[in-house]
Amino acid sequence: MKNEPSPAFDHRPDPELGAALRAALESHDDQSAFVARVMAQYQDALDRATIPALDILASWSRRGIAVAAAALIAGFLFGRNVLVHAPSPAPGYDAAMAPVEGPGLAALVSAQDPPDASVVFTSLVDQR
Amino acid sequence: MGNSESDKDLIAKALAGERDAFGVLVERYAAQARRVARAVLGDPDDADDAAQDGFLSALVKLGQYDVRRPFGPWLMRIVANAATDRRRRRTVRRAEPLDAALVGGGPRPDAAAVRSELGDRLRSALAELPERRRTAVVLFDVEGYSHAEIAGILGIPEGTVRSEVFHARRRLRTLLADWKEQVR
Repeated sequence: MKNEPSPAFDHRPDPELGAALRAALESHDDQSAFVARVMAQYQDALDRATIPALDILASWSRRGIAVAAAALIAGFLFGRNVLVHAPSPAPGYDAAMAPVEGPGLAALVSAQDPPDASVVFTSLVDQR
Repeated sequence: MGNSESDKDLIAKALAGERDAFGVLVERYAAQARRVARAVLGDPDDADDAAQDGFLSALVKLGQYDVRRPFGPWLMRIVANAATDRRRRRTVRRAEPLDAALVGGGPRPDAAAVRSELGDRLRSALAELPERRRTAVVLFDVEGYSHAEIAGILGIPEGTVRSEVFHARRRLRTLLADWKEQVR
């Protein structure tokens, strides 16, 4: 059985319906009056479109400068604050563990046997 | 300025600031824009206001127009949007849907003589259709735009355009057939 294309999905315009609708929607007054009416607004439309755009750009520019200045000041203050209150550098691990002069150190280096851990820690505590 | 100039040439001149070139474009598309706006709004005065808004909006946006594409669908999209915006504002203002009685445009001295009975019926039938449906059928059957172009104008998928045109036609063709039976 051959499938007939459905007239419901006709891809061509319907001339009869189109003509009837056209007549129903057509304005019967003078078309040139409408054209004149549009053209009377020609310059105003261009002016309205131009002036607010410039105003907006100008306002953006002013706002941009203000925001940039505020950001610069805030950055400067923050940076200065960080530098002033920065803690002194923490001693490194090696520096903390390095042996220095003291009785603990003498006992440690003169011992025959490996020292007990408590001796090592005592020597370190003595130094501090 | 000759009316035979192509849209493309007229647009180039209008962009260069030639007022008359834009005037020719308005003249060329005025009837179509007014019909499309009327399909959306019903009321002829509102439709003319919307069509005017559309032309002036197109004038301001002319620099955005892609000259590789046809001008008509681009312009009709702007006009249809202007009409839809106006209709939304009107609906908010009046807080009521499109009134079928409004479609005739209210009493005008010569209106009764000019309008046919079929025209009245079609306008009423159009007013009962959803906005997108009546705009789609007018763009297709009256203005001759393709489904793809209407999809671009209305910002909807092409399949939806086909569906909208189909449903609108079914309603309007029935009305047209009934009317023909009556006058026979």
